Amino acid sequence: MSIYAVNKICYRVVREPQLREALSGSAAEAEAALRAARPPLSGEELAALLAGDVGWLSKLGANHFLLHQLGRFRLLGLDLPTYADRIRAAYRQGR
Amino acid sequence: MGEIVGGVGVPHTPHFPGIVERGEPLGQELRRLYGTAERHLAELAPDVIVFFTCDHYNIFFVESLPVFSIGVAPSAWGPSDYLELPHYHVPIASGLARRIQAHAVRSGFDVGMSQEFEFDHPVTVPLHFLTPRMDVPIVPVFIGGLVPPLPPGWRCQALGEVIREAVERIPDGKRVAVVASGSFSLEIGGPRISDTSHTGVPDPEWADRILARMRAGETARLAAEATEEQLTQAGNAAGELLTWIAMLGLLGGGNPEFLEAQRDFGHAYGCWRVGSPPLAAVARADGDMP
Repeated sequence: MSIYAVNKICYRVVREPQLREALSGSAAEAEAALRAARPPLSGEELAALLAGDVGWLSKLGANHFLLHQLGRFRLLGLDLPTYADRIRAAYRQGR
Repeated sequence: MGEIVGGVGVPHTPHFPGIVERGEPLGQELRRLYGTAERHLAELAPDVIVFFTCDHYNIFFVESLPVFSIGVAPSAWGPSDYLELPHYHVPIASGLARRIQAHAVRSGFDVGMSQEFEFDHPVTVPLHFLTPRMDVPIVPVFIGGLVPPLPPGWRCQALGEVIREAVERIPDGKRVAVVASGSFSLEIGGPRISDTSHTGVPDPEWADRILARMRAGETARLAAEATEEQLTQAGNAAGELLTWIAMLGLLGGGNPEFLEAQRDFGHAYGCWRVGSPPLAAVARADGDMP
């Protein structure tokens, strides 16, 4: 498992409007876009991204500068308050 | 011979241009603080600005993560990362940039060269407030202050010093000012965010100590204290301090004419002029007045 693939998705969303559109669309659209990622995401990374589980991705070592872009651009069911809540939950409730 | 005339350090919070534009309560304070830096820079009347910045994973990520790099393109557009912010084509003093990069490398300082890029908000937000007409070309110097492993503070001071040497070798008498862009304690999106935001200020005491060192003109001491461990403790954006340390290295030390913090944000605004009397000496002189 390489967290680089997750970081690269988050890097790309800042630069690629089409990717943002796919990741804010239907679950099927989002999954198709994520499955096309290169390098490929692991199954767990893919599932966590689709679930907007940024707390888990953070604990895996995802870069927060990059990860928070998912919240900033309101992708994968996130916005900045939801993003922040999930990060806090991951670190402050002994998860 | 190029003349180094002074510099300013400012933050680059991406929400600040909008807060000022919309006339929100904080806008007045921001106008005053950025305005002070803008006037100072205008008084310095630079022909060129050496601009120290940390890329926010917008320019460098996929191909390479340089610890230091100098942008030598003729100009660059930005910001690439916040389309809602005012956009600018920023002129670059590419000839001088190439000279500086070559001098650094030949002096044993391994600085990369970036030939095609877009700027992100850490460059355009300060310039939006400082030189909104974009009439002063810049030499962008990228410091890898956000991507571990971070370069040590002393190395960034030395980077500023080697750029000073290069500027002093310019054949014509260009006036060169410096801008540093960044915060002292700041966490973006990580475990140390506040209870109410996706950002936080994890180590305000460190930010206070930085200000004390700067007021006292203790650049080398500050640079020695700016270890990766300390910067990491102060937040995942706290490595932006390295831009200020590089600026102070370029200026050759000295005390600020103006230095004011926005403590809740973990950042500050500072103005330096080469050859100005230390603040402490001014204060002593004031105290001697009958």
